[in-house]
Parts: sequence; structure tokens; C-alpha cells
Amino acid sequence: MRTLIEYSIFAALAVVGLATLFALQGPGAVGDSVAGSITLLLEIAPLLIGALLVSAYMQQLVSRERFARILGDQAGLRGLLIACVAGALTPGGPYAAFPLVMGFYRAGISLPLLVTYIVAWSLLGVQRALVWELAILGHHLMIIRYVVALPLPIIAGLIARQAMKLFPAADARGKA
Amino acid sequence: MLAGTIAVWVFVAALALYAQVHRPKVHKEVLKIALRQFKLLAFRLPLALVAAGALTLLLPQNFIAAKLGGTSGLEGIVLGSLFGAILPGGPYVAFPIVVLLMKSGATAAPLVALVTSWSVLAIHRILIYEMPLMGGRFVTIRVASSLLLPPIAGILAGALLG
Repeated sequence: MRTLIEYSIFAALAVVGLATLFALQGPGAVGDSVAGSITLLLEIAPLLIGALLVSAYMQQLVSRERFARILGDQAGLRGLLIACVAGALTPGGPYAAFPLVMGFYRAGISLPLLVTYIVAWSLLGVQRALVWELAILGHHLMIIRYVVALPLPIIAGLIARQAMKLFPAADARGKA
Repeated sequence: MLAGTIAVWVFVAALALYAQVHRPKVHKEVLKIALRQFKLLAFRLPLALVAAGALTLLLPQNFIAAKLGGTSGLEGIVLGSLFGAILPGGPYVAFPIVVLLMKSGATAAPLVALVTSWSVLAIHRILIYEMPLMGGRFVTIRVASSLLLPPIAGILAGALLG
């Protein structure tokens, strides 16, 4: 039922968006927009499926204990720093990164570390910063943006550590 | 995109090979898990991409440029943070819009807040990927922990630039 409602919302957004586009800019714009989205989907699909397989293998092969050993105390600064660097080095868009995060979560990585990882991936992602930001936005804005972003993943992880207490887990393993 | 796809599949092959050697029984379970996650995205993703594509073309870019161009200081930073969260699309869609805003006279601090907000809070990314894969509790905590980052980035950028 919940999924059905969600699908309906996405479908309604798509229909309303396209209808408005049709009304304002004509059928040509609608065709271009849909064609662009389909092209993007075809580009994303093979990457997404690969990332889901990587995620599933990780969940099956890597033990919680091994992760724990590498990261040290899961709430400590060492873990946050490792998560930050790992996030910054993770290439690819959300279709690649979120399946990985899910794999880490299922393998027992703590929530604050994953918050740091996601924020580092989205803010410090080396690939995106270099390819898109440098190319499109230019080095001036990119350097300022990157420098001020450096401490943010750690800050987010530290906030998440506190926020976790406000939203207790539904079960003991913290999966909701 | 192609290089990324190849890299991911090389990784898949390496993991499959490792599993084949050490724990050949996991393949079946892996396929089951991957299929279950794929089903979570199979309908959302195409619909959401079409919706995001259309909505991007409908953004009132000139209006927003005027808003961000005229304001500086905290007001601009807050506006940039809010706008970044609703800016749909990947970097190839979002960054050209930022360039447009820059050319229309928006200053660096609001733009840094905007790009930061688009990076950590973009609603389309949360709805399409994070929510179905990670679940409500995770997303709530992750977003709550990230809400202050765009204004912090904007304020820091403003301070750095004097």
C-alpha cells in the first residue's frame, strides 16, 4: 500500500511536469525532455545493477567483525576520518553510491559513520568536483566550496551521533 | 559514465571470483538480495527521472537569479540553501543553472550554500535513492545531521572571502 502511494506520487509528478511543459513550451519540449530522461536511464541502469551486486556481495562476504577491526571504535574519530576519506574517493552518482551505503549498513557499519560517508561522497567526491564542478563552475568557486566543505562530513557524523539518541532504533540492530 | 560502469563490473567480477573460491554458496543469496533491491528502484527510477527532467525545464531560473543576485549576507545564504535543496538533476543539470545564477550577479557565499545544499539535501536524490534503500529512520537522522551544513558552508565562504 505504501509503495503504491509512492509510485502514484512519482507518476503524478511526472504527468504534471510533462503537462505543464506541454502547455508552456509545446509538444517538442515534452519529447526532448522524455528522450533525455530515457537516455539517462539507459546510461544509469548497467551501473546501478552492478552496484547492487557489489552491495549484495559485500553483505554476504564481509563480516561485521572485520569492518569493526578496520574502523576501530565505531563512534571514534578514527572511524569518522576513514569514512570521510572513503566517501570522498567513492566515484559515481547516487545510483552507485547508495547501494554501497546500504551494503555497509547491512554489514553492521554504524549510522554516524555512514552519515559522514554520504556527506563526504556528496560534498568532497573527487570525481565530481574535478569533472563537473571544475569544468562547468570554474576553479574559483570550486576551490572555495571545496575548502569550506572539508570539515563538514565530520561535523555531520558528530551531529548524527547525538541525533541517533533522539530517534531510537525499532530493533536492536538499528535497522529501520 | 562508461568508465564508471566498467569499474563497477570489474569489481563485481572480482567479488564473484573471490566468492567462487572461498564461499561458492553465497552466489544464490547475492542474486536474491540484489533482485530485491532492484525491485525497490525498478518503477521509481524511470518515473522520477522523467519527473525531474520536466521539472528542471520548468524552474523559474530568472526569478531565482534575481533573488540571489540582489541579496548577500545571511539572507542570500538562507535563500541559496533552500533553493539548492529543491534543485533537481545531476551535476550536468544543476551546475549550468549555478553558472547562470553566477552570471546574473549572485555572490560566492550564497552560491557555495546552494551547491552544498544541492549536494547533501537535494530532495529528488533522497526520494529516489536514499529513502527506498535506507529506510525512514536512517534518512531522518542523516538529513537532520545535514540541515545546518549549507548555511555553515555559506558563512565560512563569506568569512574566507572577507
